[in-house]
Amino acid sequence: MQIFAILLIPLALSGIAVLPGKTRSFGVFNAAGHFINAVLAVWLSLDLLRTREAAAYLGFFYADLLSAFFILTISVINFIAALYSIGYISSDVRDSTMSERKAKAYYALFNLFTLTMLSVPVVSNLGMVWVAIEMTTLVSAFLVGFYNRKESIEAAWKYIIICSVGITLALFGTILFYYTASRDGGVSSLNWTDMAAVAGDLNPSILKVAFLFIVVGYGTKAGFVPMHTWLPDAHSQALAPISALLSGVLLPTAVYAIIRFATVINICIGTSYTGNLFMFFGLMSLGISAGLVLVQRDIKRLLAYSSVENIGIISIGLGFGGTFAIAGALFHVFNHAAAKSLMFFAAGRAVKKYNSHSIRDIRGMISAMPFAGTMLIVGAFALTGMPPFSAFFSEIMIIISGFTGGFLFQSSLLLFFMAVVFCAMIHNISRSVFGEKPSGMAAEGEPLSGKLAFGILMLIICTAGIVAPGFFKELLTAASEIIRGA
Amino acid sequence: MAVGLILFGILVMAFAMVAAKRLSALIFGFRAQSFFLFMLTFILAWRENSTQLYIVTTMLFAVKVVLVPNFLQKVARRIKADEDLGLSVNPTVSMSAAVLLSYMAYLFTGKIVSIPGEFENSALFISLSATMIGTFLMITRMKALAQILGLLVMENGIFLAAASVSGGMPFIVEIAIFFDILLVVIILGIFVFKINRLFTHIDVDKLTELKG
Repeated sequence: MQIFAILLIPLALSGIAVLPGKTRSFGVFNAAGHFINAVLAVWLSLDLLRTREAAAYLGFFYADLLSAFFILTISVINFIAALYSIGYISSDVRDSTMSERKAKAYYALFNLFTLTMLSVPVVSNLGMVWVAIEMTTLVSAFLVGFYNRKESIEAAWKYIIICSVGITLALFGTILFYYTASRDGGVSSLNWTDMAAVAGDLNPSILKVAFLFIVVGYGTKAGFVPMHTWLPDAHSQALAPISALLSGVLLPTAVYAIIRFATVINICIGTSYTGNLFMFFGLMSLGISAGLVLVQRDIKRLLAYSSVENIGIISIGLGFGGTFAIAGALFHVFNHAAAKSLMFFAAGRAVKKYNSHSIRDIRGMISAMPFAGTMLIVGAFALTGMPPFSAFFSEIMIIISGFTGGFLFQSSLLLFFMAVVFCAMIHNISRSVFGEKPSGMAAEGEPLSGKLAFGILMLIICTAGIVAPGFFKELLTAASEIIRGA
Repeated sequence: MAVGLILFGILVMAFAMVAAKRLSALIFGFRAQSFFLFMLTFILAWRENSTQLYIVTTMLFAVKVVLVPNFLQKVARRIKADEDLGLSVNPTVSMSAAVLLSYMAYLFTGKIVSIPGEFENSALFISLSATMIGTFLMITRMKALAQILGLLVMENGIFLAAASVSGGMPFIVEIAIFFDILLVVIILGIFVFKINRLFTHIDVDKLTELKG
């Protein structure tokens, strides 16, 4: 029953947001609501781990351990973004970049956005997954174009147009899927559990064509190269907490949709077809974005391209197959979300303070804003997979299973591109963090809510790889078993 | 026979939209195509005598034949959109490209996904053609409103596939998709207003603030 509460809380919060009252106190209330959601998500995972059975309600809502993992990741990042929003929005209201009214609209849209993201993993039906993913685009487009500046409206337009085309192609794939399920399998339903039950009877050639449409379509939303063109614009123009949500959890929800289709196909024709496609798009995204990270001059676009890179790593992990590799890929979803949020928060503070996106202009963060500067450089190491941070462990899981699984060439390329990204990222970020701060700029601390948000993220990225709670490991393994169709 | 003529009408309207040089012609083309689609689903609903299909048919008429084209016309009038579509590819080349795309769709349906049944086969071929022509319109027409119409043509193609090939999607999904189309068009309309206000034009090829 937890999933109803998980959906109702953001829905209620989005309604309360527009009521009269102080935005700051609502911000605190909002963060508390999302904290409850995160707790509920943990509770849901524990429940499902105990019963080992998917929870299904009304033939419409559905949550198994794979859904639980995504719900958990989304709600944890939502909570931290809500926490960070308190300080971010109040300071925008204070220096009148944003009116009180606009701040209320922000909180309403924030909650609608989290609601649409949370609805993706809790429905049982591939058609409704499609609708939920399209809704995430529509709501977040307003958050991308929130400041109503020329650049942000341009970014929002590109975002909504390119992603709508992608999602339309995904719908075509879904229809082909439904066609073979109803004609060859004899089930007139879009539930993946029903489809998986008759997967052996489905028509392999239609499934293959359908999956191509699915990967290209949802891959547009996930940020696979070459359909990623909307992504750097949208991520760089959105507000910092929204950039964190877009990059950390919105991209993986699109991957979640692809995974649900892939599991049905894997039962029918084996894992090599989907695995090869995952590896192909993963390596392409990784390779192209590695080059682009190297030449970026805009700090938020740098982080956006790094999201493309990380989606590539996740996709390669899924492509290697095997429980260990897939668990690594899922673990990387979580680690990337945490580390990337940390960096977007810190970069957002810098962009506001220096009033520029350019790495050239942002200098000496370590003396101008010691707290955020430290977080930015630590985040850069965490994101690129340095030990002891958690992303190191997920990446090593993927690489080990690549080499042991016989994917020598792909694993070597993966290692090479990761090394390129590491050098490029540290090179670019250290130029912003170190050096002389511009003369006449006063040092500035961090508001309490920001410190809390950074602190929690820091705790996650430092400990998740080493002392992750037992249930989390079980959750990852169980979720990857579901993906393998075991 | 009647069904074949209607399918043909859907394809012809897709071509007419490629040939259109003016925004009003484009909106008319979409309305006509949606009307053919409505007739087709009506026949299917009548044959199967299913209440759900009748509801879907009614919604199709309300959303795609009436509401969406009217809304787009209103937006075009409100922002005093230039009738000229800003073709980046001239009509002759556009037409040839559209013919080529249809031929590719024909080959694809014949060779790669061979579906039994003459009606199903031609419906899938035409739906795929419409989808590809819609994509082509989005890429080569530089007015924001024309891009919305390209998206809608794609959506029409997909709907044709859903209605004719797989006998309609589950009811709730169909309804959700209609709701979604309406919402997409309204939201895109809002952004057209915003672009028009900030840039004083709606030429998408002149949106070049973001690079790299």
